[in-house]
Amino acid sequence: MKLLVIEDEASLLKSIIDYFTQEDFRCEAASTFEEGIKKAADFQYDCIILDINLPGGSGLQLLEYLRVHKKNEGVIIISARNSLDDKIAGLDLGADDYLTKPFHLSELYSRVKALIRRKYASGSSVIEFGKLKLDLLLKTVTYSGQTLLLTKNEYELLLFLLTNKNRVVSRQAIAEHIYGEQTDNLASFDFVYSHIKNLKRKLKERGCEDLLQTVYGLGYKLSV
Amino acid sequence: MSKTLEQKNTRYLLLWLPVVLLLGSVLFFVMLNMHANHTQEKLLELKQLNVFNAFTAQPASMATHIRGEYSLDEGTVLPKELLDKSRDTSMTYTDKGGKINFRELTRQYVLNGKTYQLTTYVSSNEFSHLTIKVFATEALVFVFLLLAIVVINRKSSRLLWRPFYSTLKKAGEYDVVRNQSIQLEQQTGIAEFNQLNSELTYLVEKVNKAYSNQKNFVENASHEIQTPLAIIRSKLDLLINESGLTEKSAALLGEITEASERLSQMNKSLLLLAKIDNNQFPEKHKINVSELLENILNNYQEHYEAFPSLTRSILPGVYIMANPALAEILIGNLVKNAVVHNLPGGYIKVHLDQTLLSIENTGKEIAERPEQLFERFRKGNADSKTTGLGLALVKQVTQLYEMGLLYEYENGIHRVTVAFNLR
Repeated sequence: MKLLVIEDEASLLKSIIDYFTQEDFRCEAASTFEEGIKKAADFQYDCIILDINLPGGSGLQLLEYLRVHKKNEGVIIISARNSLDDKIAGLDLGADDYLTKPFHLSELYSRVKALIRRKYASGSSVIEFGKLKLDLLLKTVTYSGQTLLLTKNEYELLLFLLTNKNRVVSRQAIAEHIYGEQTDNLASFDFVYSHIKNLKRKLKERGCEDLLQTVYGLGYKLSV
Repeated sequence: MSKTLEQKNTRYLLLWLPVVLLLGSVLFFVMLNMHANHTQEKLLELKQLNVFNAFTAQPASMATHIRGEYSLDEGTVLPKELLDKSRDTSMTYTDKGGKINFRELTRQYVLNGKTYQLTTYVSSNEFSHLTIKVFATEALVFVFLLLAIVVINRKSSRLLWRPFYSTLKKAGEYDVVRNQSIQLEQQTGIAEFNQLNSELTYLVEKVNKAYSNQKNFVENASHEIQTPLAIIRSKLDLLINESGLTEKSAALLGEITEASERLSQMNKSLLLLAKIDNNQFPEKHKINVSELLENILNNYQEHYEAFPSLTRSILPGVYIMANPALAEILIGNLVKNAVVHNLPGGYIKVHLDQTLLSIENTGKEIAERPEQLFERFRKGNADSKTTGLGLALVKQVTQLYEMGLLYEYENGIHRVTVAFNLR
């Protein structure tokens, strides 16, 4: 998978590149409008992560350029401006998703994965991890062929952890993923805790003991 | 108790003008009497002269006594000390049916070696009648004057102060949040009021500017803070996945993550508050509050294991006009508040009808005064799980849509009531 990240904040750019490189993405970085246009024009990517405020121009202009030149990469806008107008403008110009800063890398990653799945319909619609199978179309989960009856939130949680498998995902990232960017949702960490507990219990009932691990006070991790 | 300028002015006038007019009347009466007496004296003197001249010309043929006019006597009838001074006297007139008062003056003359005493009379009744009539007229004029002064004063002061009252009314309508414009007359025709209006206009401009600066500052600051927060978050996401993390450092990371999370929550809420302030949620839709409330309650019940026992009395089909995002923030925060600040084994009672939404929950007593609870960064307790901005958001939204907001606490029960704007 080829990814272009256009972001002027060097430190954040590096974080994103690091994270996606670890997940076997081939990443290109651009930190200005000019550089972004040049790279986007010269190469083909699976996904472009695009900041709106760039030195030399706006990310929205860059998006327009892509559409005018019939480049149909999936685009995820990341912006510090959580304004509805920006969001609407971005999505109108053909962006596929919009994420407000600050975001969790796990969230960005899951958005990119979802985008790639949607856009290219590549591979099967079933995510497998050990004996765990999650069907994206049917929205069902099985473990060694046995069906797990999950609530909508538990399903979302499991999908999020599966997307970020073998990684520690913080409780905060989970809370934001499930409950969206509601303000003042600190109370939702307790919700996360109870969802995890239920999910663990349901997995255990199907004989899956320690697929879902709690990592100190940090978060949770799916790993074999 | 304070009175209006007009009342105050009228009161002063009514208090002091009668006193002045009364003193004036007394003075007038005294002067009038003095003049009347003087005139009587002059008339008596003139009569003396006329009568004695007539007598000197024809001493034999002239009558020596005319009642009420004069009497001429030979010899010294009166003692010397009564001469040349006017005296009061009265005579009975049967045909007039009573006594008539006179003023008399006696003088002594010597003609052809004989001594005469001539007494002249002038009726003083006419004079006293005249005096009374003049005085009564004067009193009437004074009363009229008093009324005229009061009325003219009221009219003119009303006219004079009109620019002031118009300024006062406009200043009352001014609100730094909702109605920032104030149009004051620059030329009122009165220098002081012109100055007042221009000073007030200047002041309002400064206040508006300070307010908009403050709003912009909060919004800009929040935006600027987001980038470093994004960096911190991303680095933490990378760091928690580092291999070889010890339990100790993991615990530290956990705490840092939580603190950075609180920071970004606060920042988001502040940004939201600033945006509501800056009217960045202009579009309104018809919102089904009943449905929204049910959804939020169901969500919370589903997500929260220790959800308190819930009693709902929700009238279906209650609509308000509002921004969907703000309506959700309003109701979501109220429900969240009732859940988070509840006690183990407590309850929540939700009531919704066409006019109001009330949410009642058990909870610890809080030291804050109710109105402070809705201020930014006010917390009923030192719970680190809240940002202290939830109720500030509630207040902001209710203010925006001119809804009523009431908080009550009694015997361990907290109740927040939102009264919808029914216009």
